[in-house]
Amino acid sequence: MGTFLKRHHWVTPLALLTPGILWLLVFYLWPALQMFIASFWHGTLETGFVFSLDNWTNYPDAVGQFAPFYLRSVVYAAAATMTTFLIAYPLAYTIAFKGGRFKNLMLFLVVAPFFTSFLLRTISWKIILGDVGPIIGPLKGIGVLPQDFHILATPMAVIAGITYNFLPFMTLPVYVALEKVDVRLVEAAKDLYAGPWRPGGLIAGGILGGALMGVLGLVFGVDWAVFAVIGAAFGGFVGWFLVSESFIRVTFPLSLSGVFAGGLLTFIPAIGDYINAELLGNPSTNMIGNVIQNKFLTQNDYPTASALSFAMMAGVLVVVAIYAKVLGTEELSAAAARA
Amino acid sequence: MTSAATARVAAARPARQVIARFFDRWSLIVYTLLAVIYLLLPVAVIILFSFNDPAGKSNFVWQGFTIQYWLDPFGPLGLSDAVTLSLVIAFLSTAIATALGTLIALALERYSFRGKGFMNSLIFLPMATPEIIMGASLLTMFVAIGTPPFFPLNFLTILIAHVMFNISYVVVTVRARLAGFPRHLEEAAGDLYANEWQTFWRVTFPLILPGIVAAALLAFSLSIDDFVVTNFTAGGTQTFPMFIYAKSRIGIPVQVNVIGTCIFLIAVGGVAITTLAGRRKQR
Amino acid sequence: MSTNDNLTGTPISRRRLLQGSALMGAAAFLAACGTKGTANTPSPSAAATVAASTGGSTAPSEAAVASASVAPTATPVPTPAPSDAPGAINWANWTYYIDVDPKDQKKHPTLDAFTKSTGLQVKYQEVIDDNETFFGTIQPQLQGGQDTGWDIITMTDWMAARLIRLGWVQSFNAANMPNFTANLLDTYKGVGWDPDGSHHAPWQSGMTGIGFDPAKTGNVTSLAAYFTPDPRWKGKTELLSEMRDTIGLTMLYLGLDPTQPTRDGCDKAVAALQKAKADGIIRGIKGNSYAEDLKAGDAVLVMAWSGDMVQVLVDKPGIKFNIATEGGILWTDNSMIPNGAKHKNGAEKLIDWYYIPENAALVEDYVNYICPVKGADVALKKIDPSVASNPLIFPPASTTARLHIFGALSEADETYFNQQFAKVLGVG
Repeated sequence: MGTFLKRHHWVTPLALLTPGILWLLVFYLWPALQMFIASFWHGTLETGFVFSLDNWTNYPDAVGQFAPFYLRSVVYAAAATMTTFLIAYPLAYTIAFKGGRFKNLMLFLVVAPFFTSFLLRTISWKIILGDVGPIIGPLKGIGVLPQDFHILATPMAVIAGITYNFLPFMTLPVYVALEKVDVRLVEAAKDLYAGPWRPGGLIAGGILGGALMGVLGLVFGVDWAVFAVIGAAFGGFVGWFLVSESFIRVTFPLSLSGVFAGGLLTFIPAIGDYINAELLGNPSTNMIGNVIQNKFLTQNDYPTASALSFAMMAGVLVVVAIYAKVLGTEELSAAAARA
Repeated sequence: MTSAATARVAAARPARQVIARFFDRWSLIVYTLLAVIYLLLPVAVIILFSFNDPAGKSNFVWQGFTIQYWLDPFGPLGLSDAVTLSLVIAFLSTAIATALGTLIALALERYSFRGKGFMNSLIFLPMATPEIIMGASLLTMFVAIGTPPFFPLNFLTILIAHVMFNISYVVVTVRARLAGFPRHLEEAAGDLYANEWQTFWRVTFPLILPGIVAAALLAFSLSIDDFVVTNFTAGGTQTFPMFIYAKSRIGIPVQVNVIGTCIFLIAVGGVAITTLAGRRKQR
Repeated sequence: MSTNDNLTGTPISRRRLLQGSALMGAAAFLAACGTKGTANTPSPSAAATVAASTGGSTAPSEAAVASASVAPTATPVPTPAPSDAPGAINWANWTYYIDVDPKDQKKHPTLDAFTKSTGLQVKYQEVIDDNETFFGTIQPQLQGGQDTGWDIITMTDWMAARLIRLGWVQSFNAANMPNFTANLLDTYKGVGWDPDGSHHAPWQSGMTGIGFDPAKTGNVTSLAAYFTPDPRWKGKTELLSEMRDTIGLTMLYLGLDPTQPTRDGCDKAVAALQKAKADGIIRGIKGNSYAEDLKAGDAVLVMAWSGDMVQVLVDKPGIKFNIATEGGILWTDNSMIPNGAKHKNGAEKLIDWYYIPENAALVEDYVNYICPVKGADVALKKIDPSVASNPLIFPPASTTARLHIFGALSEADETYFNQQFAKVLGVG
């Protein structure tokens, strides 16, 4: 047997690969192709679907009609990716550099919430953020917030939900990248460069964050002031605490690979999400995922739904391909492995 | 830098820098505490509301403490079926995906062959595809090949989907372990006239076992909590997340929080045990 | 969890049980001569075409049942009828739509009594939350002429009409259903989509009206409220995701007739709804979950289903439900037997079981919707007078006069209405 395997060195890898790869071919690649074919269908579930290349018009029709939903998805996903970054970076930084012997415990605490049901977690936020719930209710009672103030059923609630649910996808890759940073390098940089100028960091960060989020809010046409305040707060926070020359010149660039990996790992699921919009949003905050879900499962309009899905998939693939070309997939895989 | 050194440096510097140091030290700690509270708040709510005693069907407002639902965790109709189905699918899909994924990881890490780039892409893609796309494309395929020969949506289609999205994560996790693997041990075993089979079971497998266990844990947690892909492939069958979703429209029974808490505790316990066991082994 | 814990547990009297068992014994015997639900296998179609087989695959041997003229006093057969496949009768229903034992939520006293009297097991599952979504789960099987796994499905009028139009449900064997024949209220008979009533059996009806929290909104009696940006309910108003309810009520508000829905009327209703959304009045458009929001205080004015409102009162006393002065919508959910069902006879007997007024009354006592069974009100008065006098459950004539049934839509119109309504839902 040994000599056989040695002579035919391809036999072992082939045997190892076949079952798993076959599974992926049949149940990942084929469905993807099938969906592409379905996007050229025409008809209804009741009368049957007919394939014809003439139905390429499904694409301009569907994508044209639902362009605002794609845009909204991109904006929400981008905003959520940004907020996850703002929350996750300091967290990962703390764990990596100040964690000491609590490193594993802290890492564990960061991941632990995600062992509970995704749906239950999201519903929990609904309870916490309810209009007369445990946080907003009392604030309204003492007059800090106006009576008609609410977070639920706003774009902010959707973005906050996505942020929370996909936080580990950002925290872990950033942590992995930061952990690899050589502490001696940072120490050397601290000796080399002058100390931090914190007020400057605070102001610069605040203005930058406020402007960024404010513009983002303007894009939605709602809540822009709230967005700006949140952005300014986070920007200022990051500026004050983390902007030091050694950080900007050494630590941050070294962790960029993790930031990009985390960004992609957060952005991709975020852009396809529909649960947060459904549970926390209102009819004007639906994302492209809600449309696809509704077309597939409620309206049974498979051709349009397939065209919408495939267009989205193509977009995601382009982003992933560019990413893989420029940065490689190692970091992403490593991050996924950590998760 | 030791604390003694810090103290010395601090004493030698003006007050402004002492304050800066103080912030340096505490800001991140305070921030982390706040972040952990933020992360754990929804979990705390889930656990708290498993002890709620609502008057009607709604478990949204705190109304009083009771352990009655902990004593009857499978009270509501369909809940035990849903949990059982979720567990069965999670176990089976974990077992199948872990086996298939580990084999792929071994092949990719140990052998060079043509088409490796394609395989790498094929494994990477499912992780880079939004869940809704995977679910929708599987549904389209099942429907397209459905009539006829018929492919009903049921337990089997859920299992197929779960194995599919789990394989990639297993491959990546096991590969990470294999990559940092001391090859010379295998070579030594080979020198000692162990055949490939013996080498694998006596040397390779025990060494990559922690990686496999980690992969299985990951696969299990992904499977048991999956809603989106399952919702597209389940047909009339109902898993635990689907049960929650369906009931969220009309009032989630308190028992769902009980089961949710249990799953959380078991997962946390499982991870804690594996981590501790791993640490002990390392010593 | 039940509304009337003290009463739902009312044991069925011994006499009732005996009567039931005699009846069911006869039915079981009838079933012995019954049918075997065999699925047809449609011919293969071109590879690129997903053909829809709308051909009926009704059980082939209806005649066999009809010919079995056995006296109703026949000896009970202890085991399930051999014509039905072994195993339990599978019933798909909506959540909280049957009586529940207050001591054990998994137990349904009327179902247990059925099993006791007939020896037939029932697997009752609450898997329906939305007509279209559930349709999506059984549609491929029905199209392929396969067993859906369900013996009874419960669907709203318009979906029932679609299933019957497609030939995907089987006609009842009247011999198995003496109570259904005798006790279905006349108002439910002769619907356009099933003129002889042989394919559907009404399970529950409900009214769609205005649900509100009077402490926040005051008394609301007009549908105009949904379209008026009053600060009391602006941003705290929710509509229903069932197209016929929301479009229907909007049509009534606009003075249009929902019993004769037209594309023009649909356009006008959608325009009014879009304006209400743009004015910031509407917080959400939901299925049953509007009730949760009403209870949590996230919504104060909703379009609501009557039965839900009875339940909401348990969690939040003070909530009110009105049928608007402009009118309300009446709808019915119906039991049907899909093609390929493996336990057709058992299913028929089970459907019939709930046309015994006393059984219907037990269900009603828990479910609180409107009952289609003659004599159920009398029976309910005996076990729970408070429910029997509830106008939401047994509405007075002054209310029923204001109720409208949303008119039938052709397939093309239905697609059009759904597409327009998708815009309101924010997914179109």
